[in-house]
This record gives sequence, structure tokens and C-alpha cells, in this order.
Amino acid sequence: MKQNNHSIISDVKKVKGLGSAHHGNGHWMAQRITAIASIPLVLWAVYSVFNLQGVSYLEFTAWLASPLNAILAILFVLNTFYHASLGTQVIVEDYIANFVFRKIKLIAQKLFFIALGVAVIFSILKIAFTMGI
Amino acid sequence: MAQFTLPKNSKVQKGNHFPAENQGENMKNFKLYRWSPDDEDNPRYDDFEINLDECGPMVLDAIIHVKDKVDSTLTFRRSCREGICGSCAMNIDGRNTLACLKPINEVKGDVKITPLPHLPVVKDLVPDLSVPYAQLASIQPWMKTETEAPTRERLQSPEDAEKLNGSDGKGPAGCILCFCCSTSCPSYWWNGDKFLGPAILLNAWRWIIDSRDEATGERLDELEDPFKLYRCHTIMNCTNSCPKDLNPAKAIAEVKKLMVQKQG
Repeated sequence: MKQNNHSIISDVKKVKGLGSAHHGNGHWMAQRITAIASIPLVLWAVYSVFNLQGVSYLEFTAWLASPLNAILAILFVLNTFYHASLGTQVIVEDYIANFVFRKIKLIAQKLFFIALGVAVIFSILKIAFTMGI
Repeated sequence: MAQFTLPKNSKVQKGNHFPAENQGENMKNFKLYRWSPDDEDNPRYDDFEINLDECGPMVLDAIIHVKDKVDSTLTFRRSCREGICGSCAMNIDGRNTLACLKPINEVKGDVKITPLPHLPVVKDLVPDLSVPYAQLASIQPWMKTETEAPTRERLQSPEDAEKLNGSDGKGPAGCILCFCCSTSCPSYWWNGDKFLGPAILLNAWRWIIDSRDEATGERLDELEDPFKLYRCHTIMNCTNSCPKDLNPAKAIAEVKKLMVQKQG
């Protein structure tokens, strides 16, 4: 609801706006849980990248095709993209004041992270199901 | 987008220099922000040279000295001069604090004073606090009960009273609403129309933990909002700037914890 410049409204009406959205706790919790979950997952990812230096394409795909590595890789991608989606949402809400622009940006980046996540997980599964023993 | 630069007519310019009438050994320069709605001039910093032997030890003493002896048009709020009314909150040497509690000798070099950041200026060092006051009204800072009113005071155990006052007198009830904290918070700068800010959230917390108040759930419901509460990103400027040594950041964290608890 946008007030035009000629409205005469009280400061209380202005700050109360449309009232409380009654959500926010879920987002806050999810951001913290994914942050904590990313500690072991990122350690595993960094360790793996380190160990896989110089391996051939076949060696790499064989490594990724093992169930444990494939599952951890999918969890890593899901957790990272979900956390990134939550985090960038906060940045957009902080800095983009225009409602229409903000809403379009929020929807667009959510779709972007979903698409990216699906693409990466599809790739992992494809390798896991075709290159495995 | 959030606005990061000042509009052209708000750029601060160099102002006038007022040398001290009597030179002495303890001289100090005060750079005071000046702006008047009565003319079209840009804001400016006026330079006041003050002989510290002629005024009291606090920054407030110095600006009262300027108003009394040098330039009576200098405008600022002050009342109790002992840190209990919260009127003389301003930005001194880059930090929001109360002029009456800030010793001049804590400031190295020139003492630069501007109004509380990111609020509209009424005149000189006087900011427009109508939005923060309206936000305070919006959290209904009074006791709400359903139980029939007793014929005497509503009783509270000493332990419960201590939650409000703190064992060291630094509980949430110690807030004097000077708004040093809210106006030091970047989140409040960018979204001050929707984010309630640390001062108001500290006061909301003060009523949420009042053992006599019976509207705890409704108060939490009203606060659960991406903007009203969750614009707080634990930057902690609020706690750093509080001239009464209160901890608004902790109060906000406690509110967020209760939100989690409320979900079961």
C-alpha cells in the first residue's frame, strides 16, 4: 500500500504500515541451521578437492559415483544453495526499498537457486548412475 | 535502492570561526553542525574555540557555554545534565552518546559534534524523533492484563523485578530513550521506517519479560516480522553506543530465542 504525497497520515499509522507479517522465525532458524551444517560439509568439500588434485576425468567420476561421495555432494549443494538463497534474500530486503523491484528480485533469485541446484544435482546423479560400478 | 550519498543541498560546508575571547592554556576547538530551516543555506560546521578553564568538564558544558557566551542561536536539546533524561543525545567525535556524560578530555583533537545520524534535522543538533516515538507507541509500552485489577499494587517477586532492572541496574528498564542505539544501527539507517530498531526492541523486551504483563504472546506475535524484528543482523553498534551501558543486542537475541521457543 503506497501513500501518495498528499495523504495526511499520522506517524503511528506510517510505522504500523500493513501490520506484522507473522513470519521470519523460520527463515532465521533455517539460516543458522544451514550455517552450522555447512561447517562439516565445506570441510569435506575442501578436503576432497585437495585430494583429487591431478586425477583424470575417469578417476574423478568414479570417485563421485561412490554412494557416500554422491550423497555428501548432493547435501553440500542443497545446503549451500539454500543458505545462499536465504542470505541473498536478507541483502535484498536490506537494500532494495522499492517494493516491486524487491519482489521481482526476490522471486527471480529464488528461481535461479532452484534451477542451479536442480542442474547440479542432476549432474551428480547422472555421473553416479552411469559411471558407478 | 538505499541512499548512500547526501543530496546536494545537504552537503556540509565550512562555516564560521569563532575565536575565544580569553586565550588560556587549555584551549579546545569545537566543530558544531549547524543547519537552519529558515534559510536556504547548506549545513555547515562552525568552529568554536573554547577556553576550557571557563566551562565545565563535559561536552554539554561546552555547548551551553557557546550558547550563553558566543552564539545564542545554537540549538540543541538538554534538560537534566546528568544522564537520566536522554535529551542531549548527539554524535560526538564519531560516536552517539549523551553530551552530559561525555568528558571533553576523552576527545583527542577537535570535538566534532553532529546530530544523531540518519534522522531528519529540525535545527542544528536537534533531530526529528517523531518516527522513533511512533514506533515506541506501536509496541504498546504499558502493562496489559486480563486478570481483574487488584485492590493494591500488582505484586512482583524480587527475582522478577531484577529481570527488568538488572542486578547491576542495567536491565532493559534502564533505557532512557535517548535513541543513541537506534541511530547507530546501519539496519535502522536503511530501513528505519519498518525496522523497529534496538531502542524500541529493548523496550518491547522489557514488557515481554515483565512477570505482571499478560500479553506476552500477542507482543511476540506483533514482533515476528522480517522487518520489525529480523532486520537486526547482530551488528552490535547499539550495545557499543549505549551511554547507559545497557545491552539492546542481547535483548533482541532473547526475543529471537523466545520466537523459537514459541514454535514448540
